[in-house]
Amino acid sequence: MGCATMKQRELDLIASLLDDVEPRAATRRWLATQEGRRELMAYRHILRLLGRAYAGPSTARLFPVVYYSALRTPIGRVFVAATDVGLVRVAFRETETAFAAELRRRLRAEVTTSARKLAPAVRQLDAYFRGRRRTFDLPLDLRDLTPFQRRVLQATRDVPLGKVVSYGEIARRVDCPRGSRAVGQALGRNPIPIVIPCHRIVAGGGGLGGYTGGLPIKRTLLQLEGALAG
Amino acid sequence: MSAGHTPPQRLVERYRSEIFSYLMRILQHRADAEDVCQEVLMRAYREVSGLRPDTNLRAWLYRVATNMAFNALRQRKRRWAHEAREEGRSKIRWSPSPYLRVQLRELVQAVDRLPRRQRAALIQRHFQGLAYRDIAASLGCTEAAARANVYQAVKRLRDAVVDES
Repeated sequence: MGCATMKQRELDLIASLLDDVEPRAATRRWLATQEGRRELMAYRHILRLLGRAYAGPSTARLFPVVYYSALRTPIGRVFVAATDVGLVRVAFRETETAFAAELRRRLRAEVTTSARKLAPAVRQLDAYFRGRRRTFDLPLDLRDLTPFQRRVLQATRDVPLGKVVSYGEIARRVDCPRGSRAVGQALGRNPIPIVIPCHRIVAGGGGLGGYTGGLPIKRTLLQLEGALAG
Repeated sequence: MSAGHTPPQRLVERYRSEIFSYLMRILQHRADAEDVCQEVLMRAYREVSGLRPDTNLRAWLYRVATNMAFNALRQRKRRWAHEAREEGRSKIRWSPSPYLRVQLRELVQAVDRLPRRQRAALIQRHFQGLAYRDIAASLGCTEAAARANVYQAVKRLRDAVVDES
């Protein structure tokens, strides 16, 4: 492998930029030197260029129209939104105005209600809350997220109903073993909760950890799934 | 695979847009990406029921997509390399700065020159957001080798594009 010829600290630098890994102490010292700073800038520049060349169309063109709808559930009114690619948002404890405004602002899209476009999502969520569905079978649109967030959410999607997994375990599964906190942050910004079951990720010591939607809702969902005594 | 009773063909459908975006990045050409994506899904529909239940479906789809995409690239090179390149280039939103424009062109050419495993690994990691475990499964190598392919690709691009002045 050509890798043997690569200097360890250069490898370490690439890993830190690409994979959100903290560089080793020796690499950090090198990065403080003139040569290290130059290399850091060169690599950042390459990744920026790559993003420009390959990241695809801008967000504005990614989401021309976003459709949304709502359903009643035991945790209150749940809003769902989708693009033509797939489900893009699930939200609760929010007003319709705030939900639509967030879609417009963050996705720079035209926002419109559509019960028809959201029918599969609404039907599946409803069945889930009635205990008649264990997995969701819906295309998701995760294009506005960073690669790291997508990895975390993908790993979370693989945690089956009835099970819980620690933040540290998810960090390990996304090749970022020391990244429990980064995982927590990525989950805190999960745009599609419930369908991407971030409530199944809990603290390592046996505590529930956090939940953007509020801990009582996390507890309710885990009880509903039988992962937590009622 | 996470879903319990979902028919496997439906599971494949879940990855359609992801595989399409991957093919767009490898092929840099919409019609080609659409054709290859269709082929990948058709093959998946045919074969998915016969896969072992513990198969990593996502990685398997990436493997099929990578092989078909590089086959398509080879054929395209033979048949109409020139037009394809021109059209591919035009997809990139050029910066108004001439210096950046030169660098972007150098970068895209350097990506084209990467060995296919490095190129596939880099795109899977940096744009598709795959874990090294999945990249390894899709390339049929170890996680360490998948990681080395990605880092080596970045290193090569850096050497190809950034001058030392």
